[in-house]
Amino acid sequence: MHIPDAFIPLPQAAVYWIIALIFIALSLRWARKELSEEKIPLVAILAAGIFAIQAVNIPIPWGTSGHMMGAALAAIVLGSPFAAVFILTLVLIVQGVLFGDGGLTVMGANIINMGVIGGFVGYYSYRGFYPIFKSPYAPAFIAGWLSLFIVSLACAAEMAVAGTFPLGLGLFSMGLYHAVIGIIEGGITAFAIYLIATARPDIMADSTGVPT
Amino acid sequence: MMDNKTLIFSGLAIALVIAAMAPFIASSNPDGLESAFFGIFGAKEIQGSDLNEDAAGSAEEEITAITGNEFSFGSPFPDYSIGGLSRFGEAAAVIIGTLLVLGIALGLSRVIASRQG
Repeated sequence: MHIPDAFIPLPQAAVYWIIALIFIALSLRWARKELSEEKIPLVAILAAGIFAIQAVNIPIPWGTSGHMMGAALAAIVLGSPFAAVFILTLVLIVQGVLFGDGGLTVMGANIINMGVIGGFVGYYSYRGFYPIFKSPYAPAFIAGWLSLFIVSLACAAEMAVAGTFPLGLGLFSMGLYHAVIGIIEGGITAFAIYLIATARPDIMADSTGVPT
Repeated sequence: MMDNKTLIFSGLAIALVIAAMAPFIASSNPDGLESAFFGIFGAKEIQGSDLNEDAAGSAEEEITAITGNEFSFGSPFPDYSIGGLSRFGEAAAVIIGTLLVLGIALGLSRVIASRQG
């Protein structure tokens, strides 16, 4: 869902950058407070893994494809939506600058969508559903699915403001595709959390406050 | 329980395997946003799968005309390709990107952590 430069007028792109910079600053504050020697390797691995998995586009119906975003995963494992902002910002900078994946003038919008909205929706829906299921996997799936779906609607709304997509058709088509791509997001999020919880139950206990 | 070193190396191994496989298994269909864009600008049906390449080209001109954002930037490895090296070049590009993200994340995190009060 990387927005290219041509999709948003420059003045709006500048506004998104300003909002993104505020969240980047907050994510750096999170990093200064929370990054312990224990968590640094995990941040690096999640960033590298999210970059790699974002290169894997999986086909869905309607001649379309989609890939994992990873914001919910990062936020859940590290126990803060700002972890997703921190990691997704790094990933988006490397993608945009080196690989032309996502525009540079519109990178602020991409950071807001995938980092901020993805991270916050992923983190808080996981927290919200955890007490109902009392296990991490179903909430992780829901958090992954919902984060991608909401981000796609936000993206459609931004396109409507940009004057590029009509609101109704934009919401319908983005929602339709990402409701399906969200199954991939939810599935990989739950699976990755299973792997991490198996290898290191202490990490998941630490970030959820509950042993798994 | 896995120690930190094992965790980082197994995590890195998984990331690198995914990176190496990515160009061979990834779909070249437009992603959700591109597909919505082509659907709205008449280059494909929203619930159809055929993309009209000519219409796709003019859709791109059309959207640039609407937003006036003509910014373009020649990235060194556009679309994860390394000049003329086919899919193995793409695999190399994704691996380089993965290692770079790992290095930046590790370096930046260490610098930030070292400044904790």
